[in-house]
This record gives sequence, C-alpha cells and structure tokens, in this order.
Amino acid sequence: MTADHSILSKPAGGKLAVGRFSLRAGSISDHILAGIPTIWLTVFFLAPLGFTVVFSFGRSTFGGVELGFTLNNYATALSGFYGAAFLRTLLFAATASGLCLLVAFPVAYFIARHTSRFRLLAITLVLIPYFSSFLIRVMSLTMLMSREGLLEKVLNTLHLHAGPLDLLDTQTAVFIGIVYAYLPIAVVPLVVVLDRIPKALTEASRDLGATRWETFLLVTLPLSRPGIATAIMLTAVPMLGEMVIPKLLGGSRGVLMGQALSSQYLQSQNYPLGSAMAVLVLLGVAVIVGLLAWITKGFAEVGR
Amino acid sequence: MTRILCSNGSSLTRRSMLGLLGAAPAAASLTSIGLGASRAWAATGQLNIYSWPDYFSTADLDAYAKKTGVTPNISTYDSDDTMFAKVNSPAGSGFDIVIPGSSWIKQLAAKGLLEEIDHSKLDLGSLDPHLLNRDYDPGNKYSIPKDWGLLGVIYNPEAVGGEIKTWEDFFQAGEKPGVSGKIRMSDSGWETIGPELWLEGKDWNTVGEADIRKAAERLKSFAKHVKSFSGLDVNSLANGAIVLAQTNQAKARAAIGLNPKLKWVVPGPMSELWVDNYVLIKDAPNLEQAYDFLAFQLRPEIQLAETEYIGFPAPLAGLREKLGADVKDADLIFGGKDVDFSKLTSFVVNPETVGFYSQLQTEIQAAAG
Amino acid sequence: MMVERSYRGDWRDHAIDSGLVVWYLAAVIFLFAPIIAAIVYSFNLGVVNKQTAVLTGWTWQWYPAAWHDLSLRRAVSASLVVSFWSALISIVMGTLLGYAIVRHPSSKVRRFLAGFTYMLLIVPESVIGVSLLLFFAVTRFALNTVTLVAGITPMAIAVVALVIRARVLTLDREVEEAAADLGSTRVATLWLVILPQLAPAVAVGGVMAYTFSFDNLVVSAFLTTARINTLPVYLYGSLQYGPSPAVYAAAAAVFLFTMLLLALAVLIYWITRRPAAA
Repeated sequence: MTADHSILSKPAGGKLAVGRFSLRAGSISDHILAGIPTIWLTVFFLAPLGFTVVFSFGRSTFGGVELGFTLNNYATALSGFYGAAFLRTLLFAATASGLCLLVAFPVAYFIARHTSRFRLLAITLVLIPYFSSFLIRVMSLTMLMSREGLLEKVLNTLHLHAGPLDLLDTQTAVFIGIVYAYLPIAVVPLVVVLDRIPKALTEASRDLGATRWETFLLVTLPLSRPGIATAIMLTAVPMLGEMVIPKLLGGSRGVLMGQALSSQYLQSQNYPLGSAMAVLVLLGVAVIVGLLAWITKGFAEVGR
Repeated sequence: MTRILCSNGSSLTRRSMLGLLGAAPAAASLTSIGLGASRAWAATGQLNIYSWPDYFSTADLDAYAKKTGVTPNISTYDSDDTMFAKVNSPAGSGFDIVIPGSSWIKQLAAKGLLEEIDHSKLDLGSLDPHLLNRDYDPGNKYSIPKDWGLLGVIYNPEAVGGEIKTWEDFFQAGEKPGVSGKIRMSDSGWETIGPELWLEGKDWNTVGEADIRKAAERLKSFAKHVKSFSGLDVNSLANGAIVLAQTNQAKARAAIGLNPKLKWVVPGPMSELWVDNYVLIKDAPNLEQAYDFLAFQLRPEIQLAETEYIGFPAPLAGLREKLGADVKDADLIFGGKDVDFSKLTSFVVNPETVGFYSQLQTEIQAAAG
Repeated sequence: MMVERSYRGDWRDHAIDSGLVVWYLAAVIFLFAPIIAAIVYSFNLGVVNKQTAVLTGWTWQWYPAAWHDLSLRRAVSASLVVSFWSALISIVMGTLLGYAIVRHPSSKVRRFLAGFTYMLLIVPESVIGVSLLLFFAVTRFALNTVTLVAGITPMAIAVVALVIRARVLTLDREVEEAAADLGSTRVATLWLVILPQLAPAVAVGGVMAYTFSFDNLVVSAFLTTARINTLPVYLYGSLQYGPSPAVYAAAAAVFLFTMLLLALAVLIYWITRRPAAA
C-alpha cells in the first residue's frame, strides 16, 4: 500500500517526463480538462458576479441601478447593525456545522467501516429521503415538532419531557432543522474518505496495543481530514446564506445575513446596497476560508 | 415607454436597460428595430399568468379550458417583492396577467410595466363600488380587483383576559404574561409599524422617515414578546402555541374552524385593506386572450366559486347573500359582520420610504431574537 | 447489519459497535420521519382546503386534486426535467473540476481552481439569483429552461467537485504514474484508471447534485419564467396563504415515482452485473 518512492523520485511539483507525454505543468489535455468547467462557470457565475461588484458602486433607482462610483453602499453595509448580523451569522453557521458534523461522523463511520456487504443499502437509506422535496420535509418537520405533534407525544411517553412542547419558532428548532437538512451533505464526504482508510492500519494500531479511542484519535481522524474539511466547507459556508429554515422553523427571529441580503434586493429593491453587502460577505468569508486553509495547510492532502 | 424586442422573442424593459447601461444613444437606435413586430405573435392560444400558487379554482380553470380550448399557464411567486423584481426584469416578459397586491400597482405603473385596461372590453358593473376606484389605482386604470383581505387580529380571549378593540389593546395584551412570547406579527415592515402609526393618527402612505423611525421604536421594544414573524400557521393558533396574532381574515376563519374559542377583530382606529388585482402586462403576447379570461373571471358565478375555493372574498357586489348556507363561518370571509370600510387604508409602496420600512422590519426582527 | 472486525474485541468494542448501530438507525429514523409524515398528511382532510397539523379526516381527494392543478403538475414535471439536466451537467463538470483541483500539474492552477470552487459555495444564493437575472438582461440571453438549468449548476458543480476532490486525494498516485509510464495519455488515464476508482464518489456526487437541483429555491425563484415554474418555488409560495394537502400529495407522488425509477435502475444494474459475477 504505502509504496517505496525511491524508484520514481520526483519533486513536489510532479515534474516527470516519461513516455508519450510530460507531466510538466502545461499539458494540453490538462488544460482542456480543467478548462471546460472553468469556462462554464465563468459565463454562468463569474460574469454575473462581476456585475454585482460593479453595481455595488452604483446608486439605487428602486429596482434598477444607476451606474456610477460611490462608496455609500459600503459605508451602510459596514454599519454596526449589519456588522453584528454578520458576526452572529458566522457564529450560527459554525455552531450548526459543528453540530451537524458531530451527528454525521458516527453515521459515516458506521457506514464506511462496519458495513461491507450492506454498504450500498446503508448509504442509500441515508440518501433516500432526499429524493423528496425538501420544503415538504421541512413543513412536515414543523408539524412533527408542533404542539400535540408526534415529537411531543414521543417525548412525553418516554418521560423526557412533560406537558406541551414549545419547540417551534425557537433557535433549537432551527438547529434541528439545519442538522436535518445538511446531514447527508456532511455524511457523504466523510464516508468517501473513511472508506479509503485501509483496515490494515487500524488493525495494526490495535495490534500494537492502542485502545479503540486512541486508534480513532491518532489514526482514523487525521486520515479523514480531507473529508472533514470538505464536510465543513459544504455545510458551514452555505449555512451562512440560509434563510428558509430560520424562517420556517425559527419564526424569522434574529437576523441572519441571508435574510438581510434578500430583503435589500426584494423588499427595498435596493440592488446596489444588496450588492455591496454581498461583496463584503464574500470577502469576509473568503478571508476566513483562506485562513482555515492556511492553518490546515490547504486542507492537507493525505500524503503518500 | 417602449420595449426592445429581440428576434428570439424575449423582451427587455428599456428603462431597466437604460438604468443598467446609461446608454441613451445606443438604446435610441435599438428602438427603431422591432416595435412593429410586437403583435406578430399575439393570438397563440395561450395565456400566461403570474400569481400566488393555488389561487384559482381548478374547476373554473377547467371550465375555461373547455369553453375556449385555452388552459392558462400559471407560474408562481412567493411574495409581492419577488413578483415586482421579476416583472421589472426580462424574466417578466411573456406574462400576460399578473396578480399583484394593491401596494405595488403604483410602482409597476410608474415603471411602465402595465398595460392600461380598456374598460370598454370589460364590465365592472357587478363589482362592489367600495373596492373600485381606490387610492392605490384611481379609476382602476391598471387593475381590476380579484379578491381582498383585511389585516386584523385573532386572539384567544381567555389567555388575553378580555377583548381587543384597538391596536393599543393589542400592544397592552402582548405584554401580559401568558401572552408574551406567544405572539405573531407580520413580516412586512408596514404591517408591523402601521398599527403604531395609526395610533399616533398618522397616515402610513404620507409619513416621512423620522415618523417611521419613531413608531418603530415602540415595535422594537415590543419585539421581545413576539414569537414569530413568519407566515402564520393556523395550527399554532389552534393548539395554543400562539395566542395573539396579526393576520388576515381567511387564516382567522381557518383557525376558528379548528378552535371556535378564538376571536377575530379588525382593530381601530384604522387597519389595512389589501386587494389582490389582475393587471395586464404591457406588450403581453396574448392580450386578447387575457381580456377574454378576465371577462370570464368577472362572471358572478365564477367569482362565487373562486371565493369558496380560496377563502378570500371576490369583489362581487352582494356576495354575502349569494354564498350558500352551508359555507361555514361565512361572515368571517368578509372579516366579520360590521367591517367599516372608512376605517381601512391600503398601503402604497413609495420608493422614498419603503426602504425604511423594510430596514426597520429587519431591526425589529433582530430585536426579537 | 453485520459488524465486521478481523480481531477479537472485548465488551467495550461490542458496546461501541452496538452504539454505532443504534446511532445509525436513529439517524435513519430521523431522516425518514418527515417524509413518512408527509405521506400520511397527504391523506389528511385539513380545514377549508388547507393543511392542518392535526389529522381531521382521511381522504384520497388530494391526489386527483393535485393532478388537476395544472400549475402544480407542470411545476413538478419542470422540476424533474431541470434537475435531471442540471445533475448531468454538474456531474461532468464537477468531476473534471474536482479532479483538476488535485491533479493539475501547475500548483497555481490548482490553487485558483480550489479558490474558485469555494467561492461557488460562499456566494449567497440570492446574490447569484439577482446577478444572473441582471446578467441575462444586459447580455440579452432569452430566459428559458436553459438559463434556469445553467443558473442552478454552479453550486451543484461545487458540491460534486468537492466530493470528488475528497476521494481523489485518497487515490494512489502511483497507479496513474504507472499508466503514464506505460504510455497512456492523460485522457485515457482518466477514463480507464481513475474514473472506475472514482465511480462511487461520482454516483454519490450525482445524487447530491440531483437533490440539490431539485430542491433549489432561491436561484430558481429568480429564473423561473412564464413558461417554466419549479416545484420548490410553487411550494414556497403556498406557504403565504397556507398549503393545501394537495401539495403533500404531489410531493408524495413524486417521491414514490423517483423511488420506482431508482429501483428500476438498481434492478437493471443487478441484472447486467449478474453474468459478470457468474
């Protein structure tokens, strides 16, 4: 498995010229392979985003934008209220993502390490509910969590709770909804990575006397870093823009960036201000993600 | 106001394009291109409507389809603001009829997006005069009412410990233990701040920023008692999770259907009347079909059927008498027996102030949680 | 579920293993509960044509009602079509992107692609929606199904790319190099050596792209047109005045339909694999 590198010595850049093509930076097929998605995304993502940046310097004409150059929008967007909302949203996303990962990891671990014959079934069971409409499921979750709903009955029967359950329109309900929504998104990358950790490694660790927990902490966890990083990216970042679940399960209390932005675009019809806020959010989050990447050394590749 | 028509059939609102590019000369040369071609694809046997979901009785749509062979194609929106954003953009092209709320009609017209209604083609005689010729569209130049609703309060009298007659009662009740933390208020800035403005004797269409901010202060301190600003779920009212709520009469009717102890009131000194209207989009591809559909929808028997289906009253005069005896809580459809139309006002979106209303709504929601 | 170990564990191991099984089953129940509830509620009578949390009566009427609501029916079929195409495009683009992020020879390009992918997830959907709308306005793209699909793809591509990336990072580089040594072209290596190893990740990424596209709300709300409306947009709009049980019926029907398709696909896969296994 972990082979000997001495036969093919190569520096980190992968410069190796062998056979019909060279692995030097710049092979045509490499560029084409990377280029196809890049072009698509440039047209349908980057270019529109460019417009957003341009508009952020413009003036609002209630549903239109008068091009110009003004920093008023940024001044407003950086004001105390929105700054606080941004920070609160960051905290919210970090917490919710952490919770999601806590719930997802054992599930992924189970699927990846304890089911070989039933692997497909195990992961399919987790994914099947997602083939139905998300909104309907959130609406149903609302009904289950409402007073005199199923959850209340179950909790009362198990004597975990007494009396009416006032879970809806609370922060707790929002967290439950978010974990519910993002669970498979967190499970999947974890499974993908945990699956590739050779059983031999964990067995060797056990044979050498490590406890289950030590094996997990010192062998499994570090090796699953790319999966964890991916899971965090796929959950925490979209959570920053989340507005449907806080609205349906949280009663729209408190203000998160997703709702604040959307209200600028739709209710105030103020595209420039909304764009300025969007640019700031983008920059802020890019900085944080960049920091994370630097700390974990580029979401560290599993070295070989 | 003109529209630039491209050969592939899409159309751009010239004003929005000018706004975006600030390119007057370029636009001038483009207008000369295709205006005459606009009617070339008119009578295609289609009808495109932009509306709330499930806002037309399927039986009526079937009847229309049988009669004319045309089945209206209905696309949906989730809020009036989204509707405005879409109609004000190229995504709005292709719609023939749109169902905006009364608040947005003035702005839609101001942006040149609406076709003036040709009253010679439609008979509005069967409609209740109270609902015609209102502030938001004098003379019904651009809109025809489809159905209407009121902003009122539904509450549990036991929990609230009394009756609610004015918005002041509402605020007072909200602070009581047993009610605090179980209140639902609206998610639109003007419906939340409006009550305070009315209590101060002000008109929400003519106030300036300072007054709006001042009124919002009371709401911000009240916000801690509010549980939810999201769409009201009648189940919460029925099971007691919410005991005091701002809502419309149809939701109230549904809630009372589940829990007859609840009470509904349209509080004084003023409250809101909103009207959902049919409007015609300028350069609609199927204008003739649209008029035909509107004439069909205005028929008294159709208006009656629509009322029973969607739960909101159509503007038909004498509708109350025409409703069958088997309709539960029929009075509630109209907001109760004695609704005083002189104490009702409709909100008209004003670009100068709507930004403050929505900004303050955000701040009020932040203060709540 | 068989719990497999190749060494003998003690009671602590058994406890942990059982705990994992319980956790997994609890998670599955948690995930299934709402969809089962939705199916049950699709038979609920409701009150004045609106859905209620308490079951007020049992009726089959909502299924034909949903069918007859043309707007709902069209929204469902449009959603299926749009998410299929979006998933297809996203799988292809996402796999290429995810692979390139890890394996492109130039580290500058790799960093750029990685940053680009992260950006796809960072930008809030309402911003993407509005900017696409304005972009299409200025560039005069006609708004239709194509623009709707295209608008949804960036985020789906990012999801697929990151899943693929995580998997590619665990692949053995030496196999690719061996292929290169033996004279294979880059594309051939990708197709014959890497893709088979990525297959599970591609399949799962594809599923995630499909479900993401099917459920997409915010961007779709901006890009739907007179001619095409999607189910989430319809559902979200119904929340204002209260949904009728018909939308639950529609959702339940779509779910069962999709399950049938999946079961069919699995069956076909099984049948075509059998001869090879034998």
